Amino acid sequence: MTDKPDLIYLDYAATTPVDPRVVAAMSRLLEMDGDFANPSADHLAGRRSSVHVANAAEQLAALLHVHPDRLIWTSGATESNNLAIIGAARARQHRGQHLITMPTEHKAVTDVFRALERQGFDVTWLLPDECGALDIDALEAAFRDDTQLVSIMHVNNETGLLQDIARIGESCRRRDVLLHVDAAQSVGKLPVDLGQLPVDLASMTAHKMYGPKGIGGLYIADRPGCHIEPLMFGGGQQRRLRPGTLAVHLIAGFGCAAEIAATSLAEDLEHLTTLRDQLWAGIRDVPGIRLNGDIDNSFPGILNASIADIEGESLLLALEPLCVATGSACNSQSQEPSYVLRALGRSDAEAQSAIRFSLGRQTRSEDIVVAVRRYRSAVSKLRDLAPVLAA
Amino acid sequence: MSIEPYSTRVRALFDTPAHAGGLDDAASSSIDDQGVRIQLFAQVEAGSIRGLRFRAWGCPHVIAAAEAFCECYEGRQASDLSDFTASELMQSLPVPIEKSGRILVIEDAVRSLGKVLCGTSEPHD
Repeated sequence: MTDKPDLIYLDYAATTPVDPRVVAAMSRLLEMDGDFANPSADHLAGRRSSVHVANAAEQLAALLHVHPDRLIWTSGATESNNLAIIGAARARQHRGQHLITMPTEHKAVTDVFRALERQGFDVTWLLPDECGALDIDALEAAFRDDTQLVSIMHVNNETGLLQDIARIGESCRRRDVLLHVDAAQSVGKLPVDLGQLPVDLASMTAHKMYGPKGIGGLYIADRPGCHIEPLMFGGGQQRRLRPGTLAVHLIAGFGCAAEIAATSLAEDLEHLTTLRDQLWAGIRDVPGIRLNGDIDNSFPGILNASIADIEGESLLLALEPLCVATGSACNSQSQEPSYVLRALGRSDAEAQSAIRFSLGRQTRSEDIVVAVRRYRSAVSKLRDLAPVLAA
Repeated sequence: MSIEPYSTRVRALFDTPAHAGGLDDAASSSIDDQGVRIQLFAQVEAGSIRGLRFRAWGCPHVIAAAEAFCECYEGRQASDLSDFTASELMQSLPVPIEKSGRILVIEDAVRSLGKVLCGTSEPHD
């Protein structure tokens, strides 16, 4: 071990700690005297468990402003994305096989579309502007008579950029095209009113909003033509769309996290905005720094910046004890420059030097002071180390 | 299973690279290849390397390897530079095999420096 100070966790976009109230709610359901039974069972214990599932659906539905019946429990946003995209594409393939998405989506979306391409679907990949936003005119131009599904994320997981889901959804509705939204980075963090937004399918996960890992949700709008086919078979649970014994404790944890989010959303946003502004004010004058995204149109919990002439892996190590993400995609095993930042027009070097700071409820102003100091000193150290070579 | 991508030695060399920087009136070599930029400086007196410094742009293993090289060869004979091989650094730090190309860039820079100092770049038999 080193003598470095305690870690400063600034990677809330990757995952969040579980709220102690959520832990307590889940723990009660795991023990013999708790409601651990299979909620599909007809006996009393099963019926008691099913109450927790129903309560959680109401809690999550209240956060999203939808009816609880419109929610499907999954293992997380990756499964929700797979179920929504493949399920909708298959359900509507008799009408057409054209799909639309962006190359800046999460891998849990882009890889699904690539799999569908291999199965014969035709996918249009719309390029973003330099901040990552979708050009609505480009979307309008991409629609075809056989277009069936558009999938656009709400908040970009690397840059925090917010897409205009309302306008995108309106365009889709005018053409009777389904809109799927990967809302993994927005549900529980931003107001997401699926009762008002023209969204047909929305993916979400608990562990990005202080709930447990291993549980996610899929919203399916109650609207003609909005159907999906299941990807798994083996039981009648959840209207056969996602069979399998329900994980009552995880579902209850998700519900509890949703209820907490509903009450703390405004306070959380104010807190994150203050900290994000403090962070950017502290580093924005570092020579060669470049913001990735659009600070005026972003979820304030994410700040992503590239820095000229700095090697990303060395920067990450020099930043310790800060726990931040690099521009080497979301897969830290990969040293490949982030495909999201490359799609925004950043060079390999710019993408590779990018650092994503993501903040959360437990982030304190003192943490940001350390982060600013550490970032500035790391950049300075690595620049001092670098050779000045003739061109 | 180790959760650390860097050994204690790599971390220490990266954290406090005592030989980082330049030297006045020194022989030097520079290489920019494989995403690595390396510059070596050597002051030699009576065939002995009195001072050895480096500047580097690269991953932590590259910086640590450059520091380890300087640490090891400062004070030795300039002719010893031709004995240097990347494999000794790869093993001693250690450096993961997928980064061997980057450490070979350091070997090239050392050979180049040896050539400047002694007029030879070939290893001794």
